[in-house]
Amino acid sequence: MKERNKTTRFLKISLALILVFSVSIFSALAIFLNQQSAKTIHEVGRMYMSTTSEQIAMHFETTMNLRLSQMEVLVSTVVTESIHQDEEQKEILIQNAQARGFDHLAFYRMDGTFETLYGSPLHVTDPEPFLNSMHNRESKVAIGTDEAGNNVILLGVPAGHTPTPEHSCVALVAGLPVSYISETLSLNENAEHIYSFIIRQDGSFVIRTSDATRENYFDRVRSLYESVDGEDPERYIENLSQAMEKQEDYAAEFVIYGDSRQVYCTKLTQSEWYLLTFMPYKALDRIVTGTTTRWTAVLLGACALVIVVLLAVFVKYFQMTKQQMRALVRAQREAESANRAKSEFLSNMSHDIRTPMNAIVGMTAIATANLDNKQQVQNCLKKITMSSKHLLGLINDVLDMSKIESGKMTLNMDQVSLREVMDGIVSIIQPQVKLKSQQFNVFIKDISVENVCCDSVRLNQVLLNFLSNAIKFTPEKGSISLSLDEAESPKGEDYVRVFLQVKDNGIGMTPEFKEKIFESFTREDSTRVRKTEGTGLGMAITKCIIDAMGGTIEVISAPGQGTEFNVVLDLEKATVEEVDMILPSWNMLVVDDDRQLCESTVSSLLSIGVNADWALSGEDAVEMVEKRHARRDDYQIIMLDWKLPGIDGIATAREIRRRVAEDVPILLISAYDWSDIEEEARAAGVTGFIAKPLFRSTLFYGLKPYAVDSPDEIPENPLEKGPDLTGKHILLAEDNDLNWEIAEELLSDMGLELDRAENGQACLEMFQQTEPHHYDAILMDIRMPIMTGYEAAQAIRALEREDAAKIPIIAMTADAFSEDIKRCLNCGMNAHVAKPIDVREVVRLLAKYIYAES
Amino acid sequence: MTLQECYLALDGDFEDVKHRLPTDRMVQKFVLKFLNDPSYQLLCDSMEAGNYTDAFRAAHTIKGVCQNLSFTRLLASGEKLTEALRDGPTPEAPALFTQVQADYRQTVDAIRRFQEELD
Repeated sequence: MKERNKTTRFLKISLALILVFSVSIFSALAIFLNQQSAKTIHEVGRMYMSTTSEQIAMHFETTMNLRLSQMEVLVSTVVTESIHQDEEQKEILIQNAQARGFDHLAFYRMDGTFETLYGSPLHVTDPEPFLNSMHNRESKVAIGTDEAGNNVILLGVPAGHTPTPEHSCVALVAGLPVSYISETLSLNENAEHIYSFIIRQDGSFVIRTSDATRENYFDRVRSLYESVDGEDPERYIENLSQAMEKQEDYAAEFVIYGDSRQVYCTKLTQSEWYLLTFMPYKALDRIVTGTTTRWTAVLLGACALVIVVLLAVFVKYFQMTKQQMRALVRAQREAESANRAKSEFLSNMSHDIRTPMNAIVGMTAIATANLDNKQQVQNCLKKITMSSKHLLGLINDVLDMSKIESGKMTLNMDQVSLREVMDGIVSIIQPQVKLKSQQFNVFIKDISVENVCCDSVRLNQVLLNFLSNAIKFTPEKGSISLSLDEAESPKGEDYVRVFLQVKDNGIGMTPEFKEKIFESFTREDSTRVRKTEGTGLGMAITKCIIDAMGGTIEVISAPGQGTEFNVVLDLEKATVEEVDMILPSWNMLVVDDDRQLCESTVSSLLSIGVNADWALSGEDAVEMVEKRHARRDDYQIIMLDWKLPGIDGIATAREIRRRVAEDVPILLISAYDWSDIEEEARAAGVTGFIAKPLFRSTLFYGLKPYAVDSPDEIPENPLEKGPDLTGKHILLAEDNDLNWEIAEELLSDMGLELDRAENGQACLEMFQQTEPHHYDAILMDIRMPIMTGYEAAQAIRALEREDAAKIPIIAMTADAFSEDIKRCLNCGMNAHVAKPIDVREVVRLLAKYIYAES
Repeated sequence: MTLQECYLALDGDFEDVKHRLPTDRMVQKFVLKFLNDPSYQLLCDSMEAGNYTDAFRAAHTIKGVCQNLSFTRLLASGEKLTEALRDGPTPEAPALFTQVQADYRQTVDAIRRFQEELD
């Protein structure tokens, strides 16, 4: 959590920092660019100004030169020494001058006075430089005034002759109105844009345009200019004067009427004048401001875009981080929970292991202290045995689980009889059920295939797991049931679908626990199950086994409502054909309170050739037997369930015996161990017992003994005697004489005919030398000289004879390790039996394989 | 000396063998035949010659015979020796062999005494 906040805070802070950073970078960029563009535009303005000024100056020069050359033409053509006397000549001169548009015309004398030819008398404003130029015979432009005091532009051209004492005329001077220059040079174009003044060095205006009213430019500067280049106007006047003195160009920027303008000063040739060109920045500023605004807008837009993109990236990243955080937290929680489960499992296990271990240690101590007291020692040993078994069970579970978890579990597929599996389970479960006074029922239905391919050990394990859990979690007097159904398998004709159901009405499970019941190391952690021991691995193992078998498992449970486990398996049908089971066509009566069981049993009986009726209660049964008896069509066999709703099976038997036939066999069906009731039942006239569940084969083998004529010939214990193997030829490979003799002695007794081979080689040869099918089976010792049993079995299997692959070979050896057994099977042998020779086991195996073979 | 006493002397399980073999007579017959069983001689010769393959087989046979006759004591040491020789000789084999020798002698002595009393 803390970590998460830290990351979030870091993200937020860095986002804020990046935002601030980008905003300031963009602002700085905007400011810099604006400044740069203003500077550039001012630079451009300045260049433009200097060019414009030069052009104006050149234009002025050209104009003046033109005018002066006109004057020079006049001087050279008309003005001679005699002109002063010759009025006619003067008249020509005046005409010429007027034709050229001069307003005034005068001769300029040595003394500086004018001899006016036409126009009003003139007066040179600053006569000295003008006179000097004239004396030096240079043309000159100057400013002067007429009688009315209006400014007049004076053009002086030296006269072509030397002055004489009486006619001290040195130059011809013509006058033009000031407006001529300003119009010719278009000096006052538009005050908004560029305008120009022409001043003299002392600041007085020659030409003033725009809004200038004062006589002197410097006065204008003093009174109107707010600042020039950021300095006092006085200083500007100084600088300007100095520049004019040196005849240098001068530029400056000043503020007037709150508006900044540029000024450029340049000397005009052939005069003592200076051209001042002005450019207001208003228009430029407008352009600059426009550019700046656009720049700023673009930059702000770019900035906004960058921020939006950044925000989007951050939001996305933030979300991703959050998601990652959540995943991390989840993973951590899972890891912690798994870890906790393992620790809890370890502590539970240690506790569970310690309990029986303590018992063992304690009981051993007690036994040691009471060595003389036999009864006490026996008692202790009994308890030690129990605890050891329990301990072994716990350890087996843990080993199993670790085997499964490391993926080492493999299924040992073999032919399995579902009847045998159910019988085995029932006999294991019954004592436990009895101990808790629980009701236990087995139901089978629609069993079409009894023999299937399956790992019987694992299947047993699964069923025992469910049942022992059911017993554990069902209180006393509760009920538990085990059902087995069959149906067609979607996997094809070679398969059969098997439904297994274990149901109890015990304490049930909470929905939360139900979800994780198949996880390793879990056990419902509530006080009501604390005292129940177990590793909590059973269900996980069960699930793994069922998964490995390709089956499914389903749990239906609720607290206080019991639990139901449903397993569905698709098992391959066993290839071996079942023994042809046919019984005489008896008429039978089946009595059970479960209608389904009745119908299923009747249909099974029909399939083995027996016609049967059924009844749901003892009373009905008695009635039906009586009716049949009256018709002289008695039932040949009657099967009664022990537990019936009205009068029970034993009472019913007694009633039947009392009312009718004395000699009809009456069998009691029971899912329970009948030793407790056997005496009572037999006294009541019950002939025998048959164990639930009632498979076809159960019925067949249970009823077969009654298929003889006289009831007296029914053997006491028909299954004890074992199958008949009289006359079967067995080849026995055994190198040791003593062992051979023992085997011969024992097996000959069973009617078997034995031939001995003294080693593997001899065995192989004897088999080869006889006709096919001479021997029905081979019993093979393993450790023999010359050729071992392994090699002999392999060699026999490799022979090209019709019985070589099929003849049953059973290993008989002193070794009973699982790897020895495995090796025997790998070498092609059918089974393995350990020494010492147990004749019953040998006969059982021989019968199994010989009859399976035939 | 009865057969049961003989079993007591050679530390065997008479009840067990009686359970497996149909008659006491048959037990007696096989017990006496044990004296002529060549496996022990083969074991001794092979051990001496260092032929551990044959020694293993001999030990294994002794084990099998003892299982059939329920000679518990000799079976125990014979079984240990068998395992010690199963994958070739091991360091503990000689000591186990000595034990087998001792147990064999005890067994054979008991049977001989039984036989003497029969005659």
